[in-house]
Amino acid sequence: MSRLKLYSVIYVVLFVFATVQVLFEYGGYLDRMYWIAFAGIIVLSAVKAVLVAEYYMHLRWEPRSVSALMLIALTAVLGLTLAAGYSIT
Amino acid sequence: MSDMPPASSVKRWFVTTNHKDVGILYTATALFFLLFGGLLALLFRTQLWTSGQGILSANAYNQAVTAHGLMMVFWFLSPFAFGFANYVVPLQIGADDLAFPRLNAISYWLYLFSGILFAISFFQGGTFAGGWTMYAPLNIPAYTPSVGGSTAILALALFIVSVTVSSVNFLTTMHRMRAKGLTLWNLPLFTWSILLTVWMMLFAFAALLAALIILSADRLVGTQYFAYRIMESGAITMTNEAASLLWTHLFWFFGHPEVYIVFFPALGAMAEIFQTFTGRRIVGRKWFIIAMVLVAVQSFMVWMHHMFLTAINLQIKTLFMATTIGISLPFDLMVFALIYTCLKGDIRFKTPFLFAFGGLILFILGGVTGVFLGAVVLDYEFRGTYWVVAHFHYVMVGGVTGLVGALYYWFPKMTGKMYNEYLGKVHFGLYFVGFNLLYFPMFIAWETPRRVFEYPANLEVFHQLATIGGVLLGVSFLVMFYNLYRSLSVGEDATDQVWQYASSAEWAVSSPPPLENFTEGIPSYGEGTLEFLDEDPTVTAQGATDGGTPAVSGDGHGDAPALESGHDRHPSHASIWPFYLGLGMFLGFLGLSGLQDGSFAPGMEGGVYMAILAAGFAVTGWSLLRMGLEDFYVPEPSSFGEQWPFAGVENTKLGMWVFLASDVVLFGAFIGSYIFIRIANGWQDWHHLIPEAHVALPGLINTYLLLTSSFTVVLALVASERGSKWGTIGSLVTTFVLGIGFLINKGIEWLHLFHIESEQFAHGWGLSTNVASSTFYLTTGLHGLHVIAGLIVTLYLIWRAWNGAYTDDNSPIEYFGLYWHFVDIVWLFLFPLFYIL
Repeated sequence: MSRLKLYSVIYVVLFVFATVQVLFEYGGYLDRMYWIAFAGIIVLSAVKAVLVAEYYMHLRWEPRSVSALMLIALTAVLGLTLAAGYSIT
Repeated sequence: MSDMPPASSVKRWFVTTNHKDVGILYTATALFFLLFGGLLALLFRTQLWTSGQGILSANAYNQAVTAHGLMMVFWFLSPFAFGFANYVVPLQIGADDLAFPRLNAISYWLYLFSGILFAISFFQGGTFAGGWTMYAPLNIPAYTPSVGGSTAILALALFIVSVTVSSVNFLTTMHRMRAKGLTLWNLPLFTWSILLTVWMMLFAFAALLAALIILSADRLVGTQYFAYRIMESGAITMTNEAASLLWTHLFWFFGHPEVYIVFFPALGAMAEIFQTFTGRRIVGRKWFIIAMVLVAVQSFMVWMHHMFLTAINLQIKTLFMATTIGISLPFDLMVFALIYTCLKGDIRFKTPFLFAFGGLILFILGGVTGVFLGAVVLDYEFRGTYWVVAHFHYVMVGGVTGLVGALYYWFPKMTGKMYNEYLGKVHFGLYFVGFNLLYFPMFIAWETPRRVFEYPANLEVFHQLATIGGVLLGVSFLVMFYNLYRSLSVGEDATDQVWQYASSAEWAVSSPPPLENFTEGIPSYGEGTLEFLDEDPTVTAQGATDGGTPAVSGDGHGDAPALESGHDRHPSHASIWPFYLGLGMFLGFLGLSGLQDGSFAPGMEGGVYMAILAAGFAVTGWSLLRMGLEDFYVPEPSSFGEQWPFAGVENTKLGMWVFLASDVVLFGAFIGSYIFIRIANGWQDWHHLIPEAHVALPGLINTYLLLTSSFTVVLALVASERGSKWGTIGSLVTTFVLGIGFLINKGIEWLHLFHIESEQFAHGWGLSTNVASSTFYLTTGLHGLHVIAGLIVTLYLIWRAWNGAYTDDNSPIEYFGLYWHFVDIVWLFLFPLFYIL
C-alpha cells in the first residue's frame, strides 16, 4: 500500500471511531452501562491517538527512543493523576 | 544579523547568541538576584531580632519572605547553575555551541525580563505575599488581592517559558552534539548532572506551568479552580471542594524534583572539583552516575511527603514515606563516593575545594535532618516549623556553597584572570561561619512557627544569633564581589590548564576559549583520550555510536544530518531578535497583570495596561516574524560524533519532540486536574453542574474538522515530497481553513453556552459559573490557543510555499506537522472527557 493510501485509510478509521464514540451516548449506553461505555470510549480515543502518533507523526519510522520520550512524559502525568486521584479520602 | 561586535561593546551583550556570552550573562544576572533576595532576607532577619512587629508591617513581612523564597529558588539558584552549564557543557562535550543558539539567547532574555517583571510587582500594590509555595486559598485575590500578586505569578510563568526553551536546547545539544568517543558513560560528571537536571526540568516545570496558568486564570479571568469567596457575613464558600489539595499536588509534583534540579548542578560541580583537587578519579564513578539517574527518576515519586498534613489518606502517606526513604539511599552512595575520593586522594585546599567540601558537609546535615520530615509521625510535629526552614536551607544553600566553589573553579577559564586565593579563603571562612550561625540555631529554635514573626521569648537568643549569621554571610559575599572585581582588573592571566589534574575538555582550550571553541580541529575521544582531528572526518565515521542506532538510517524518515551543506560557512553568533522577543513577552505579561475578573480597571489605569498588552503583542509578533526571516546559519552536527539515543533524528526535529514531551505534561496536568476535581466531586455527580444545552455535536464537528486538518497536513507533506508547489499550498490552505472552522465552531458554541437561560443557570454558563464550566473553558481554551498558534505558523508556511520554498526541503512542514498532529491528539481526549462522559 502506498503511503498516501495508508494515510487515507487511517483518516477514515479515525473518522469512524469518532462517530462511534458519540454513538455510545446517542445509543443510551452511557445511561445503561456507564463504566463499560466509559472504557470503550477511552480505548477508542487511545487507539486514535496511537494511530495519529504512529503514522501521521511518523513515530513508527523514528528510533524507538523518540517513542520512549513520549511514553515517559505520558507515564509521568498518568502517575500524577492516578496517585492524586487515589489520595482523596 | 551575524556580525559579532567585540566583547567591549555594549551592543555585543544585546545581540550575542554564543553560549559562553550567554553563560556570563546568566551568571552575572543570577548574582544580581542573589543580592536582591539576600537584602530581602536581611530585612526580615532584622524584623526577627525580637519577637513581634518591627520595621516591617505584617503584609510587608509576608511579601519579603515570599519574594525572598521565590527570588532565590527561581531567579538565583538554577540560573546561577545554568550560567556554568551554558559556558562549560558545550566545551565539555566538544560542541561549538548549543544546538539552537538563538533559543539560548531567548531563554536568557526571558529569564531576565521575568525577573524584572517580578521586581515591578512590588510597585503594583505589593507583590505576592502568600509564601513561595503559593498554597490555595492564599493564592487567590480574596487573600492576596494586589495586582502585584498576579504579576508575580505571571513572572514565574514567564520564567518557566524560559526554562522550557532552555531544556529543549540542552537536551538536543547533549544528546546530539557530543564528540566522537564521548559516550554517555564517559561524560564529565558536571555535564551528567546537567543532563539529568534538564530532563527533570522538562517534566517538572511543565506541571508547575499548568498550575500557574490555572492560578492566573483564577486571578485574571475568574475561573473557579481555587476559588474561595469570603461573604459579607465572614463565611467562606468554595466551588471546588478539592482546591487546596489540587494545588499541593500540582505544586509538589514540581516542587520535589525542583530540590534536585537545584542541587544536581552543584553536585556535578562538586564532583569535578573533588576529582581535580584530590588528583584522582571519583571512587565508584559508574555507581555515582547510576545513583544520580536513580534520584532523578525517584524524584517524581516522592512529592506527597510534602503533604502529610493534608487530607490525603493514610495508605498513600505510608507509600510516599517508603519512596522518600528510598530516595535517600542513592544519595548515601554519592556522599560516600565523594568522601572516599577525599580519603584516597591527595587534597589541595584551594578555594574551590573548600567550598565544594563545605557544601558536602552542609548537604549531609541537610539530608540527615530531612529524613525526620520524611517520616509521617515526625512530620506531624515538624511541618510548619523552623525545622523545615533550617533543613531546607542546609540543602539548598548547601548547593549554593558547591556552586560558589564552581564560580572560583571556572572563573579563570571564563575570564582569563586568576582570582585572589587569600581573599577566596577569607570568603570561605566568613561564609562557612556565617552560614552555620544563621541556620544552625534554627534547628534549636525549631518550635518557631514558619513565616510568622512572633515566637516564644526563650527563643530570642537563637534568632539573634541567626540574624548576626545572616549579616556575616552577606558580608562574605561582599568579599567575593571585591575579589572577582579586583581579579578582573589586576588579576594574573590564567593559563589554559588552570588546575593540575583537571581533565575535561574546557581545560584543553585557551582561557577564555575562542568564539567557536575548538580552533585546533575537531575534538575526539575516539582513541580514548582527547585529541583534535583534521576537518571532515565524517567520511570514515558513520555509524560509530555508543551502542545506539547507527547515525544513518535507511527508512527515509531518519535521514543523517548533512554536515556538508554550507560547510564553508561560519556559524552565526549574533541576533537582536531574541532580545526584542523577550521584551515583547515581558510587555505582554505586564499588560495581562492588569486583568481582574476578565476585565481591565476602568479609566487611565486599565487603558495603560491594555496599551502595554497591545505593545507586547506587536513587539512579540514582529520579533518572531523577523527571526523567522533572518539569515542565521547554524550547522547540523556532524554524524561523526556520539548521538545516542537520538542518532538519525535531526536537531530541529528532536527539539520539537522534546518540546512536545513537555506539552504532554502540560496538557496532562490540565486533564489530570479536571479528573482529580471530578473524582473529588463524585465522578457521576458532575452532570448537574453542566447545562442540558452542552451537547456532543459541536465537539464532534470539531473532531471531524481537526482530524481532517491533520490529514491535509499529511497531504501537504506528501505534495512537497513530490515537488508539487500547488499541492503543498492547496493542502496548507485547506488546513488553515479547517483550523479557522474549528475556532468559529468553538466560538459559536461558547457564545451559546455563555448566554443560555435555564432555571439552573439563569445567568448563562460562563467561566465563573462553577468548577465544571471553569475546567471546560480553560482546558479547551488552552487547546484553542495551541490551534491559533498553529494557524499563525500555517500562514507563514503558506507564504513561504507561495515563494517557492519546501519543494526541495520539506522538513519545516514535517516539524509543523508534529505540532499540529499533537494538538489533534490532545483534542481526541478532550472531546470524550468534556462532551461525552
